[in-house]
Amino acid sequence: MKPIRLLTLSALLATNGAFPFCGFYVAKADATLFNDRSEVIMVRDGRRTIITMSNDFKGNVKDFAMVVPVPTVLARNDIRIVDRNVFSALDAYSSPRLVEYWDENPCMQWRYAENEMMMDAVSAPTSALSKMSMHEEAKDYGVTIEAQYSVGEYDILILGAKESGGLKDWLLDNGYRIPASAHEVLDPYIKSGLKFFVVKVDLERMQQSGFEFLRPIQVAFESDKFMLPIRLGMANSSGVQDMIVYAFTRTGRVECVNYRTVKVPSDRNIPLFTKEKFGAFYKDLFERNWKQEGRNAVALEYAWNVTPSWGGMKCDPCVGPPPMPNEFTAAGVDWCTPQQGAGQVFFTRLHVRYGREKFPQDLFFQVTPNTEQFQARYILTHPATGDLTCNDGQDYLENLFYKRTREMDELYALTGWDLSNDRGYTDEVRGKLSPARRNGLEAPYVPVDPPSGGGSGKGGGAIPFVLLALGSAAWYLGASWRKVAVG
Amino acid sequence: MKSPHIAGLRFLQRDARHFQILFLGIFLVYGTWILRWDLEWERCLLLLTTCLVAQAFFVKWKGLPWNALKSAMITGLGLCLLLHAGHGYTLVLGALVAIGSKFLFRIKGKHIFNPANIGIVVAVLLTGDAWVSPGQWGSGPALVFLVGAAGLMVLLKVGRVDTSAVFLITFGSLDLLRTVGYLGWGMDVWAHRMMNGSLLLFTCFMITDPMTTPNAPKARVAWSILLALLTFGIGTFAFVHTAPIWALFVLCLTTPLLDLIYKGERFSWLPGSSNGKAQNASAVLRNSNTQTNH
Repeated sequence: MKPIRLLTLSALLATNGAFPFCGFYVAKADATLFNDRSEVIMVRDGRRTIITMSNDFKGNVKDFAMVVPVPTVLARNDIRIVDRNVFSALDAYSSPRLVEYWDENPCMQWRYAENEMMMDAVSAPTSALSKMSMHEEAKDYGVTIEAQYSVGEYDILILGAKESGGLKDWLLDNGYRIPASAHEVLDPYIKSGLKFFVVKVDLERMQQSGFEFLRPIQVAFESDKFMLPIRLGMANSSGVQDMIVYAFTRTGRVECVNYRTVKVPSDRNIPLFTKEKFGAFYKDLFERNWKQEGRNAVALEYAWNVTPSWGGMKCDPCVGPPPMPNEFTAAGVDWCTPQQGAGQVFFTRLHVRYGREKFPQDLFFQVTPNTEQFQARYILTHPATGDLTCNDGQDYLENLFYKRTREMDELYALTGWDLSNDRGYTDEVRGKLSPARRNGLEAPYVPVDPPSGGGSGKGGGAIPFVLLALGSAAWYLGASWRKVAVG
Repeated sequence: MKSPHIAGLRFLQRDARHFQILFLGIFLVYGTWILRWDLEWERCLLLLTTCLVAQAFFVKWKGLPWNALKSAMITGLGLCLLLHAGHGYTLVLGALVAIGSKFLFRIKGKHIFNPANIGIVVAVLLTGDAWVSPGQWGSGPALVFLVGAAGLMVLLKVGRVDTSAVFLITFGSLDLLRTVGYLGWGMDVWAHRMMNGSLLLFTCFMITDPMTTPNAPKARVAWSILLALLTFGIGTFAFVHTAPIWALFVLCLTTPLLDLIYKGERFSWLPGSSNGKAQNASAVLRNSNTQTNH
């Protein structure tokens, strides 16, 4: 078998992206508030963290506004605007992937063609934004404007506050529409010593820049805290939201320390017809897995050493060239420029689906020395073509029949899809077998019942263990009691 | 009274270590099968083998009873649950340090450091290749029941309920005061922090090692409060997510001092009494004239 075609999810889900990230978007006027999916690049090097927030804001840019808690007052040099292509490059490289293999015809001489195919800081001068009256006014609210910058198309303020009420009032009075429940999370952030990075768009500068879309903002700071403040982002969303985190370190994987980090199912053989709906396949797989893990785990989708100078494989198989040094630089990885040469770069892709109920805490992370490689990879196998009537060919078909049955089982287990209309996938192979062989086949099992309830969650998986523990406790205590009574 | 399950129970009751081995084993199976941890079997095999071989070496050398291997089994299982490393030699180092420390760093017949704890600390500090994953258990009520029920049984057996309870109450109160009282987060944030499986496991199975906690109950209470204060301080102000590990390492150094100030009966794994507490431990020790505390 030879891998021939690779397909990443990013190509299929390219239009799915909606919204950024870990702070919240606050819209002015009546623009709809929503943030369903966000992407963040997170670089951690010692105490230094560089966070880049994608900006796929789809509404009218004049309504765009964003508030992000940051641990320190950022200097002008700590804020950059980066090209949004960085996100697509990282996404394409680390996305869950589909790989196709072609079986060879055992009745013919080995001959196959190899054909690999892949589907898939600018700053503007400071404007006359600074206004003394704004500072004076802010003081009345107990809010301090710690810094004020114009970066690219954005007007940025860094606010310090004494209490959440004043901050909330200041934001409201300055035209930021704050979700009603934001108040309860602003207070803990203020008391934790965080500052607020507040962003608006300057329409004039945006028109001058010629960019059609808002570009990602990158911030850098030194702090012991390695975290993403997701609670603020939940303030204007009642359901769950998705966030993709592209993390880079010098040493190894990034993992969450207050939620479980779990690999998504990978290296599974799935039926050929899944190719047409690979996007839907992965979405359903992810959702099912998320439910099975108790809706409160962080999913690992990719982990690999991607050091440009490192000669080893950076994926298996690769879906394209690894990120270029300039893309690393844009992402904030500043230790592997061509001038600096060596310096390992380890890439971790995490996918978090979070909601208020199951994610009460912000996400805290740690860098580990774990360099084990991982990718979310699904395998399609094209059958051999041509005359398969020879004995070896019939053996092959018989194996293929059972293999396809297993693929159907796998697909059902991964997605819970109703496959009753897809029996043709196995029947097609059966039809090519000689009558004698066909009669000798064991009846295939094709699951048809859709899953009930959508997964019991981790609590369900733990129940036998809890019962065992409680049973042992009762047994032990009962026996001890009996012993005391007898004694 | 001779039914097999009673015989099994008697076997378990004979030594608190049997319970510990049973429950740590259950946790390991739970982590590997239900929580889908990585690379468990190879890693665990290496850690357990190293611990057992190292212990066997010392048992032979010091002429100790072979049942001391049970302690190595507990240390090995503890390491399996906590220590991760990129290379096998790091695991071997951690396991060797853990077992070696019991025989090399001793004061008045007690080892100073908690074996699994020092193994982890040395492996993390010296190699840069080892890590602990505090998030690997997740957080939830099921874990509280599982670890709590199992922990309670072992603690009742070894008489160290006070250590766990005082630690948990002190740490929980401090965290409640800060998280809910001061910062203003909801109770669910605090509950999520307190129901973390790593914290519970640490509370019920690591700090309670009777050989590295002070002998006198009064001293144990003081020790547990200090441990909670230190854990809270390191975790809250230095943002170290593995704070309990480091706090315990430091606190173990104070145990000999507390034993000097507060006199108490030394613990033995094989006491004369059936309840396993320390009352008759010293008598057993004197009679046997052997060092069974390994």
